[in-house]
Amino acid sequence: MKRYVYINDDNLAKDIYCDNRISNRKYTILNFLPKNLWEQFSRFMNQYFLLIACLQLWSLITPVNPASTWGPLILIFAVSSSKEAWDDYNRYLLDKKANEKEIWIVRQGIRKLIQAQDICIGNIVWLRENDEVPCDLLLLGTADPQGFCYVETAALDGETDLKTRSIPSACMGIDVDLLHKIKGVIECPSPNKDIRRFDANMRLFPPFLDNDIFPLTIKNTLLQSCYLRNTEWACGVAVYTGNQTKLGMCRGIAEPKLTAVDAMIDKLTGAVFVFQIVVVIVLGIAGNVFKDKQGRKLWYVQYPKEGPWYELLVIPLRFELLCSIMIPISIKVSLDLAKSLYAKFIDWDVEMVDPETGIRSNAANQAISEDLGQVEYILTDKTGTLTENKMIFKRCCISGRFYGNESGDALTDAQLLNAASTGSADVILFLKVMAICNTVIPVRSKSGTISYKALSQDEEALVCASARLRMVLENKNGNILDINFNASPMQYEVLDTLEFTSDRKRMSVVVRECQSGELFILSKGADETILPLTYSGQQVRTFAEAVEQYAQMGLRTLCLAWRKLEEDEYQEWTSMFKEANSTLVDRERRVAEVCQRLERDFEILGVAAIEDRLQEGVPETIEILRKAGINFWMLTGDKMSTAIQIALSCNFVSPEPKGQILIIDGKTEDEVCRSLDRVLLTTRITESESKQDVAFVVDGWALEIALKHYRKPFTELAILSRTAICCRVTPSQKAQLVELLKLCDYRTLAIGDGGNDVRMIQQADIGVGISGREGLQAARAADYSIGKFRFLKRLILVHGRYSYNRTAFLSQYSFYKSFLICFIQIFFSFISGVSGTSLFNTVSLMAYNVFYTSVPVLFSVLDKDLSERTVMQHPQILFDCQSGRLLNPSTFAGWFGRSLFHAIVVFVITIHSYAFEKSVMEEVAMVAVSGCIWLQAFVVALETNSFTIFQHLAIWGNLVGFYAINWIVSSIPTSGMYTIMFRLCEQPSYWITMILIVATGMCPVLALKYLRYTYRPSRINLLQQSERLGGPILSSGIIEPKSRSSLDKDIPTDSVYEPLLSESPSATRRSAGPTQRLDSVQSQSPPHSTHTRKDN
Amino acid sequence: MSFSDGASKSSSKSSTKPTYSRFTQQELPACKPILTPALVMATFIVIGITFIPIGLSHLSASENVVELVDQYDEVCIPADSPDPDVVYSKRIGYIQDETTDKTCIRTLIVPKKMKQPIFVYYQLDQFYQNHRRYVKSRNDEQYRDPSASAKTTNCEPEAQLSEGQPIVPCGLIAWSLFNDTYTLSRNDVALPINKKGIAWESDRTHKFGDNVYSKNFQNRSLIGGGKLIDNIPLNQQEDLLVWMRTAALPNFRKLYGRIETDLEVNEIIKVVIQNNYNTYSFNGKKKLVISTTTWIGGKNDFLGMVYIIVGGVCLLIALVFITVYLIKPRPLGDPSYLSWNKNPASVQ
Repeated sequence: MKRYVYINDDNLAKDIYCDNRISNRKYTILNFLPKNLWEQFSRFMNQYFLLIACLQLWSLITPVNPASTWGPLILIFAVSSSKEAWDDYNRYLLDKKANEKEIWIVRQGIRKLIQAQDICIGNIVWLRENDEVPCDLLLLGTADPQGFCYVETAALDGETDLKTRSIPSACMGIDVDLLHKIKGVIECPSPNKDIRRFDANMRLFPPFLDNDIFPLTIKNTLLQSCYLRNTEWACGVAVYTGNQTKLGMCRGIAEPKLTAVDAMIDKLTGAVFVFQIVVVIVLGIAGNVFKDKQGRKLWYVQYPKEGPWYELLVIPLRFELLCSIMIPISIKVSLDLAKSLYAKFIDWDVEMVDPETGIRSNAANQAISEDLGQVEYILTDKTGTLTENKMIFKRCCISGRFYGNESGDALTDAQLLNAASTGSADVILFLKVMAICNTVIPVRSKSGTISYKALSQDEEALVCASARLRMVLENKNGNILDINFNASPMQYEVLDTLEFTSDRKRMSVVVRECQSGELFILSKGADETILPLTYSGQQVRTFAEAVEQYAQMGLRTLCLAWRKLEEDEYQEWTSMFKEANSTLVDRERRVAEVCQRLERDFEILGVAAIEDRLQEGVPETIEILRKAGINFWMLTGDKMSTAIQIALSCNFVSPEPKGQILIIDGKTEDEVCRSLDRVLLTTRITESESKQDVAFVVDGWALEIALKHYRKPFTELAILSRTAICCRVTPSQKAQLVELLKLCDYRTLAIGDGGNDVRMIQQADIGVGISGREGLQAARAADYSIGKFRFLKRLILVHGRYSYNRTAFLSQYSFYKSFLICFIQIFFSFISGVSGTSLFNTVSLMAYNVFYTSVPVLFSVLDKDLSERTVMQHPQILFDCQSGRLLNPSTFAGWFGRSLFHAIVVFVITIHSYAFEKSVMEEVAMVAVSGCIWLQAFVVALETNSFTIFQHLAIWGNLVGFYAINWIVSSIPTSGMYTIMFRLCEQPSYWITMILIVATGMCPVLALKYLRYTYRPSRINLLQQSERLGGPILSSGIIEPKSRSSLDKDIPTDSVYEPLLSESPSATRRSAGPTQRLDSVQSQSPPHSTHTRKDN
Repeated sequence: MSFSDGASKSSSKSSTKPTYSRFTQQELPACKPILTPALVMATFIVIGITFIPIGLSHLSASENVVELVDQYDEVCIPADSPDPDVVYSKRIGYIQDETTDKTCIRTLIVPKKMKQPIFVYYQLDQFYQNHRRYVKSRNDEQYRDPSASAKTTNCEPEAQLSEGQPIVPCGLIAWSLFNDTYTLSRNDVALPINKKGIAWESDRTHKFGDNVYSKNFQNRSLIGGGKLIDNIPLNQQEDLLVWMRTAALPNFRKLYGRIETDLEVNEIIKVVIQNNYNTYSFNGKKKLVISTTTWIGGKNDFLGMVYIIVGGVCLLIALVFITVYLIKPRPLGDPSYLSWNKNPASVQ
């Protein structure tokens, strides 16, 4: 699909395309209620609660006032709807502000001020300096005579540097006044969200130029939400408007991520639902049988002889309503509240504030903190994530001579300085390429110093280095470059720029030396793309060695090359280049092909090596997280040897005897296959018998083949190996790898800092962005953004772990308290003629869920089972979270058993102590409710690991609150509970009953917990004991590798039934079996695996 | 060298440093108790030591209650057939016949001296006052408010006469009012039963109106239980008030009245029972209970027994724990138990 934009045509475009009204709203006033309700009710839980609430309206079957369900339901809905409404209203206000902004456009040849929302396709829009671009524009003119302007695209891609935009060559030199009258047609693709491409053509109508087609690129556009900077004015024609702009199309609603804990809770809810249905069916049948056998004899009940057709359903439905409290309506609200607090704790954490920049951590996604505690794989980018992304020119090799050594880098190497000042031809050429072959913009400040604005840190490093070596890039005036070498100025005209793409991995410029008129192509790029392009006969061995040597030191290398061009060769080529650049279909490939024609027969000038220092604390962080059982994969676009070097230096792989690096490579499918098989075999053997730390290395090319043709063995390898290094991978391959691990059912965390990591970040279960030097793009796409890599350990070990533990308790407790009251109702039905009477009244039921039991447990979000220090010292404790030890069917069964036991205790004691003359319905109900409240207070207290003042307040204050609320209700004469609570509190037997309920309910729990705590302690218990008794535990610090064979999959995660207690130490981890055998230290690597070691 | 304009701006935007507080940093001072053997054993011993005396005193209080129970439903009805079905239908015929004299005389012997106040209860077994249809069949507003006599929601099927006049008090509970009566005499001297003040005070003052009078009550063809006196306000007919406090259990006692004189040991009490109430159709039992009270209320051995059992078990548990602790002491927090510190050889 193509779109034709007629420039400055006031009549045509209006109807065909949308206007520039931006709308980010989800709702309108009219559709808010239905749409929002529809969205809320598309969730199973809500449908269920609505069904229950509707059934309750039928007075024949409702056991209590419908308010007991409608109240909480409406509250929950009101809260989430008003949140949505508020968000939407704010979006509306923002839209309105943007839409009503006044913009200069040209109408009927006259400049007019209109509102931004009235801009139509084809209108010419005028912008002044620091204006925000209202829609996607094609640049037509700027204040700059060369046709350049500068934009800041931070809102679009997060990159904070200024970018140059230029007017299309066709518009060059058109007078300002004529711009009002310009006419033409632009052929461009339909609106799309690719902010890096705009493959279009333009044809200006006479009298401006004859029917010549001009190619347009993204360089000629001003995209919505960018700011015009350092340019007095600019004007452009609107090509995409409203929600169809590039930004508007990008704005997608990310799919909500579901955590493993959420999935587990959903699963358990499903099981509870099934259980509930079974209970309802059983009780329903029992009820109907009792009714026919016995109930009809109860004359005082007056069963009609002939009931309506639905009579058989009445009792089961009553029980359905009675049992509906089994699924706690409050769990969603409690969890949401807890999760937003976890997110706030991350935001608030001062220990995760980057001291250099002051950037603090931010949890953009509030819902997935628990997943942080269950991470099994971390996929990390290298540059900017592990390293600082501060490039420093370290070494170079110019025509076989190595500059820079251990004691200092190349810039301080006297030989190089000397060579530069004396004007050694090779060195000068090398420096020229460094200074010219780039897209850096020099900016001269008022004081006269020059600073450079560059997209790529590498380029900036090169230009700065060349400036230190006296080859100063002074000015870039359109196509003219001013270079100052040893105080003698030179001028170059840049004719063409052959851009860098991740496929080409090189960039070149064609320049003309202004004095001599000679043409050159200067090129720089990765060794593997430059070295094969040399003219036949040049010795590249030294360079290859240099590259290798530098890479071993963990430096990034760039090869610099050049060639002289003949005039006619260039002329011939440039027309082809122009043509390729104006194609609409598959432009990138065509351009690359054409570029290839010029980039040949190079003379290699040398190799530049750039250092990218590791961030502070990276090796320690990786070591701790690996100890915690997290597997690391490094995905980088860098070259293999650099990647391996970095991997070694930041503890990815243990050094030589223990660690082993296996390389998968090969150019053809067969080679890759063979290599993969060999590595897999070695890994299998190593995993099964030795104690080695195996890492495999794969490059982008082999990876593509492996993923395409050998997915199965590669997956097996991925599971077996703890560490992987993938180099030379593209953004989409990064995402593919995440996908691969996710398909194996692992929790993945992707961390990166740049635009090329965005896809991986979005794909992973948890995306973490580093707000780094490559802009905020990754940080924006991520669920969490942090300032430095080293904060990751705190994010996972502290925040993730606590969040998981707290949610595990909170959710299971919610079910426990619902079961408790529901079981009592069920027991009561057996002594009330299985007729479905509710023992509890509406007020108690509602308040039980909303206040009495929710408040104390909500404060468990402050609970800390172990101190942060202990966790950091013993990161292995994260195993328990990863394997889901604290929330799984077996722990859930424990809570289920506990609630059943407690229900029996409360019920039996209540009906026996309040028997005969005391068995007044209201009193018995109150006694039972009080019993539940007392028990739950002690349950929360017993399960709390650390009591802060808030927990004490919540737990004991809640008890006081319970009595206060009931005294208030009991003093209202019209309430059913009038005087009940006062009467009860006066009776000694009430208090005696309460004490008995608590003692009988808690003693067995306490005894079991104590036995387990002392004689079969879980790891958490052990650490708690040592932490609180003072004796430090010294962990031997062995990295316990996780082994995962495909066999492990068949073992159910946790199948041990643990009654009454929530922890199940005997539960097996997914990988518990083989793990234990692997963690002793062995120094010798088995001989059979050495042959795969890389030999250089 | 780098152009830091953008960077500094973005940092100033987000550098609103999180304010430090112990809450936001999750560093609130906390007390972190652990289950040390001493603590746990002490808890159990304390529970055991306190529970047994409480249980004993409760039991003795219960022991001091003098209780006379007489089941009269079977003996107060003629049944002369071996076939249970015949007995069943005969009994129902008998109890439903309004014309027969249903007087029944029982004699009771006081087992121990009973001090006044002595409470007279009737006990019904297998009577589901907590049945869903039954317990809901009332309208408190009608009972309270004289102007709301037409409000009979929830009272079906005892809401209105067939002509549409509302029944006051409406509902199954009121309709099935217990109507056996007891007349007591000691040595042929009438023993008065005080029926004033047997209902809860709150029921008399708030739940039932003092100018609400019964209307159309028991006027339908189907007659349930007792009748009310139409010119006495509902809140003075305390039998109704007591009956309307529905019981949560199928076996329950309700206060019939109080005897305000002491009864001596071995005194013979003659009870004249008007056996009107139909418990025969559902095989329920009727009992007359005469009982004193103590601080725990009526006779209830359950709480005392359970207290002693729980206390005993706690002591036992404590004993076991102590023994185990002495035989096999295990230091808390021993690092050698951490799985990653274990010698792999020993784990096989």
